[in-house]
Formats: sequence, C-alpha cells, structure tokens
Amino acid sequence: MNRPITPDEMTRQALIALIPRLRRFARVLTGSIADADDVVQAALEKAMVNLHSYQPGTRLDAWVFRIARNHWVDDRRRAHNRMGHDDIGEMIDLAGDDGVAVVEARAEARMVRAAVDSLPPEQRDVVALVMLEELSYREAADMLGLPIGTVMSRLSRAKAALAKRMTETGAVQ
Amino acid sequence: MSAPFTDAQLAAFINGNLDDEALIDAIEAAINADPALAERAEAQAGGDALAPLVREAYAPVLDAPVPERLIAAAAQHEAEVVDLAAARAAKAPVLPTPANDTGRGGWRWPQFGAIAASLALGVMIGGPLLNGGSDAPAGESLVLASADLAAMLDSVPSGQKADLASLGEGEVVLTFRDGDGRLCRQFMIESAGNTSDAVACSGGAAGGSGWQIEAYGRRAAPAGEMKLAGGDAAPAVVAAVDAMIDSDPLIGADEVAELGKK
Repeated sequence: MNRPITPDEMTRQALIALIPRLRRFARVLTGSIADADDVVQAALEKAMVNLHSYQPGTRLDAWVFRIARNHWVDDRRRAHNRMGHDDIGEMIDLAGDDGVAVVEARAEARMVRAAVDSLPPEQRDVVALVMLEELSYREAADMLGLPIGTVMSRLSRAKAALAKRMTETGAVQ
Repeated sequence: MSAPFTDAQLAAFINGNLDDEALIDAIEAAINADPALAERAEAQAGGDALAPLVREAYAPVLDAPVPERLIAAAAQHEAEVVDLAAARAAKAPVLPTPANDTGRGGWRWPQFGAIAASLALGVMIGGPLLNGGSDAPAGESLVLASADLAAMLDSVPSGQKADLASLGEGEVVLTFRDGDGRLCRQFMIESAGNTSDAVACSGGAAGGSGWQIEAYGRRAAPAGEMKLAGGDAAPAVVAAVDAMIDSDPLIGADEVAELGKK
C-alpha cells in the first residue's frame, strides 16, 4: 500500500495494532466474541470518522476503549435481552493440540470466563480495565467517569464473586 | 478522616476479601470523600492471584487472528473536510481530484470510491455522524452536497436503483418517520466496488428542505458478494435507524405519498 505517512495514517496504524486488546475488552463487556467484534467494528468506524477529536499525545487506547464502551452501553440499552455466549473456546479448539494439560487448561479458562461473564455489567467494566488492561484505579475511574472509591468497591465485589464462583466450580482450590 | 478504618479492613476491601456489604459501602463512600484514604487502601493491595487467571482465560482473544472486517473498519479514512460555503458558491457537487493525481499520495480506487461517497454526503467537520453518540461532537450537522443524491432521496421509491453519475449507483432501502415526525431514508451507494450506507432525514434542525445525514458508514463486506438490501448495512447506520425509527417502514403507494409531502 502506497499511503502517505500522515499523522492520521499513523493513528490508523496504531488503532489497527490495538484491535486484539479492543476485542478482549469488548469480549468481557459483551459476553461473546460475535458481539465483541460488532462493538469493535463500530468503535473503529466511529474512531476513524472522529479522528479529529482525538488529541495527539493523549492515550489512544483510552480514547478508543471509551468509544467502544459507549457504543456497547448504547447498544445494550436497545437490546437488553441479549444473551452472552462463550465462543472463545471455538476460536482455539479448532487449532488441534489435545494434550491432557492443554485440555485441563482450557477447561479452567472456560470456568474463569464463565465466572467473569456472570458478573453484573458494572463489575465487568472494572475487571476488564483493571485486571486485564492493568489500568490504575485512577485511570479506570477517569475512563468510567466514576469516583475512585466506587471503582475500588466494584472491583472488590467482583474479586469476591469471582473467587467464590471459581472455588465452587473447581477452577481454583 | 482516614482513621475509622483499620489497615486490615482496607486490605480486605482492596483484595476482595470483604463480604460485609455495609462495610464495603462505607469504605467506598469514605474513599470518595478522601483521596488520601484511596492511597492508604491501594497500599494494602496484596498479590492478586485472580488477575493472572483472568488474563490467561482471555489470552486466546489476544492471540487470535484479527478478522478482516475489523481491519477494514479502521481502513475507513477520516471524512474529508469540505468547505460547504465554497461548495455552494461553486454550485456544483464537490468531487475529489482524480485518482492518478499523485498529490493525493496515490490513492487506490477502493479508497477513492469511499472518499467520493463521503464527499457526496457533503461531510462537514465535526458532524454528529454516528447516531448522536457521546463521542460525536454536537452542534453541527451534515448536509447533502450532491444534487443527484438529493434527487434520489426526494423521489425515488425504495428498492429502485438510481444513477448517481460519478458517485456510482444509489438505492434507498428503507423509508420511515422518526420520533420527531421527520421523513427519513436509509440508503446505500455503490461506487468502485465499495458500498457505503447512510441514513438521512428531511428538514431537520436547520429547518430547510434539504436532507440531513444522521449516520454514515462504509461496509466491510468484500466487493461482489451477494447482498441483502440493507440487511448487512454498516453497523453505525443500522444502529442509528434502530434508534430513530418510529413508524412501520413506508412502502408502495404510502411511500410515494409521503415523499410527496415530506
């Protein structure tokens, strides 16, 4: 491709590099890869159209994650009976490689995802941002527009619920 | 101010080991009122055994190949800025420079087509392109800059292809009224193998008789693939229509009659 290397083109390339993380983030929010990819696609389209509202020097990931989350929140209001469906297994189970350790690891991963999927949306937000994206509480609070104590309490409840659920299902002892 | 809670309580809070709901609420409120307490709580954070498990569980998503349609979504170039005043003064649809103009850095045709389509939509800077989403700057709107396109929206019934000259071929896929009673039409434009979707409403905030673009997007589907009219439209447009539609779709004689009064 013979594109000019403009600031917008660099931002575009950076957005493409962020797609795997965007998918993971959206998967936690939506509960399925199929819905996550719809959210990511819409977020990227919005981002490209609104590139002029991105301020160079600020965090591009935070900017596009916020777009993705806003889109999902709006979308969820319209379709609130949507059901999650853990299709991550389908992404990798196709790959073969069936050693016992691998099968066990996948079963554990499925249980962990089931535990995360069972959390209420406001707790999934903080799990996605703080546990997976490793944002600080302050960064997560800024992105979600919440006070920091509220982010902490949501993660506190999420951790307690995850530990309980994983112990029940045997994902952790 | 931080005094009422012990370090042990804060540690249990930050590490997710508290099951006393009232205490969690009390600590949350205290931290929200006192940033110093947030620091004290964070200092109590212990090794988090859960986070690595959760990261491991979602690692396959990071490792999976990225679907083509997502790359395509990021290939949509930023809407070109059109000086509407200048365009109106020129009394002509704004068209980009030819594809072989090296001044544009050698655009390939597919991109050129998409840009032609966005120019046809008279894209102004900062328009609320996407369904009034909170990321779209408010206060400005998109106005059609193509006479061919406006003519199609004014009079061509749904499902009938319209020749938009240099823009390609257009087709209205859905006509409906929104919550404010405005007549709105979802349409697509095919140009150089690319399909763009948009939804426009008549009149609008500007109060004029023109069509205002409410949402616009480019399809990721590869060229030449079988299409269901409107069924696989750009998500931004589908979402906008879902949010706006406030009547049964207008079809047949009803549609023609409504177009007559707009």
